[in-house]
Amino acid sequence: MMLKIVGGLLVISASGLLGMVYSYKLSLRYRELANLRRLMQMLETEVTYGATPLPAALFSVSKKAEGPIGSFFCSISRCLSDRSFYTVREAWNDSAESILTQSSLKRTDIDLIKSFGSILGCSDREDQKKHFQLFYIQLSHQEDAAMEEIKRSAKMYRSLGFLLGIAVFVVLA
Amino acid sequence: MKDDIKILEVLEYLPKHIGAMIAKLPEKILMDAEEIRLRLAKPLCVSGSNAELFIAANGYAVSAAEEAYFVSEDDLKRALQLTCNYSLYSVEEELRNGFITVSGGHRVGVCGRTVVDGGKVKTLKDISYMNFRVAKQVLGASDKVSGYLLQPPDGIYNTLIISPPQCGKTTLLRDLVRRLSSGSKDIPFKGMKISLVDERSEIAACSMGIPRNDVGIRTDVLDGCPKAVGIIMVIRSMSPEIVATDEIGRSEDADAITAAVNAGVKVITTIHGSNITDFLNKQDLKRIQKGVFERYVVLSRKKGVGTLETVLDGEFNALYERSKEHL
Repeated sequence: MMLKIVGGLLVISASGLLGMVYSYKLSLRYRELANLRRLMQMLETEVTYGATPLPAALFSVSKKAEGPIGSFFCSISRCLSDRSFYTVREAWNDSAESILTQSSLKRTDIDLIKSFGSILGCSDREDQKKHFQLFYIQLSHQEDAAMEEIKRSAKMYRSLGFLLGIAVFVVLA
Repeated sequence: MKDDIKILEVLEYLPKHIGAMIAKLPEKILMDAEEIRLRLAKPLCVSGSNAELFIAANGYAVSAAEEAYFVSEDDLKRALQLTCNYSLYSVEEELRNGFITVSGGHRVGVCGRTVVDGGKVKTLKDISYMNFRVAKQVLGASDKVSGYLLQPPDGIYNTLIISPPQCGKTTLLRDLVRRLSSGSKDIPFKGMKISLVDERSEIAACSMGIPRNDVGIRTDVLDGCPKAVGIIMVIRSMSPEIVATDEIGRSEDADAITAAVNAGVKVITTIHGSNITDFLNKQDLKRIQKGVFERYVVLSRKKGVGTLETVLDGEFNALYERSKEHL
């Protein structure tokens, strides 16, 4: 009997934890998008007011963040400084594929980020500013979607985990 | 020895394969080279003070244009990206003037399609011509001249250097600034406070605020600032004894120079022209054609870059004439 209870508790807590982990991962995407927005705003300032060249601008921005977005910026900066790529777009895409795919960001988020790489650095400050603004608008769509998902699913996953645990316990018992 | 070949610094801004072609040239040619020219679908070309060479894909200099390496659109795009450090927006202002100064003081001239907005060049696009001009700081370029410019006991004369393009006027100005600022033991001179208004970053060749050329120990550099505004700014802020600037030409420049001279500050500057008459014919500079400058230095390249032709005093009397020296 005692063994049954302990085993049951273990099953319930394990699946409950699984649900929590899953719902946490959902919120991670939102956090990373928010982090991205923050960094992009810093980059915008560097570009449009400071007119800092990209390798330096990306590097100084990357210092101000942790996680995949920070290392993404840092990686582009490194690629450009050591001349492994001839265009920003190539360096940007390469870093996006190798680093961002490891993060909680979804394919649609990564595609949006990649699309920005072909614009960055290719025009004057005024034009760059416009593209940043456009990027923010597109980014907020992704953020809304991520938020929506959290609201809709995070709670569900959490309770689903526990319920599943209980169901398994009941069936096995 | 390798460090002396300034052109190698420029190769960094070219696509790797083009850089490799040029690096294969004999040292003697590299030492002498002044320009690397990229023209869309035209032969790659390196030119020096007395020779123009086409470069073949294997890195040999060839005389026939057909055998040379032809520059592709991709090459130009890459060279531009490297030159502006992947950030066109950071060289907006320079592009409007048609050239970008890179680290080391080298100038990259660009040509393409201009986008005009309200009569002013807004930007350049479809860049299909690039000219990499190698900057060479020649320490001692002012050896011959400086003696004429010192005003006893320890001042200098207001000086105008007159020279056609490519005759070493910026080189001379840079070395004068270095010498006057650091002082010199051979011509007992203690050194003066100099403010250098370096509108196009080619005298001091500042990169991130640090001069890449030696411009002396008492020199303050105002980098990238329009001359007319800059001259007034430094007089107020840095209390200079000498203001130095390059390539005057507009009437605002004349006003600023008058203001400097009236403030008791000495001025050294340069202008395009091949003799004193060219300067006197410039309508925009009417105000400073008489009574401002006390020494005029005229350069040419008749005996190589930086040939000193004449030195005139404020009344246009010759203090030195090259033609007479050889008689």
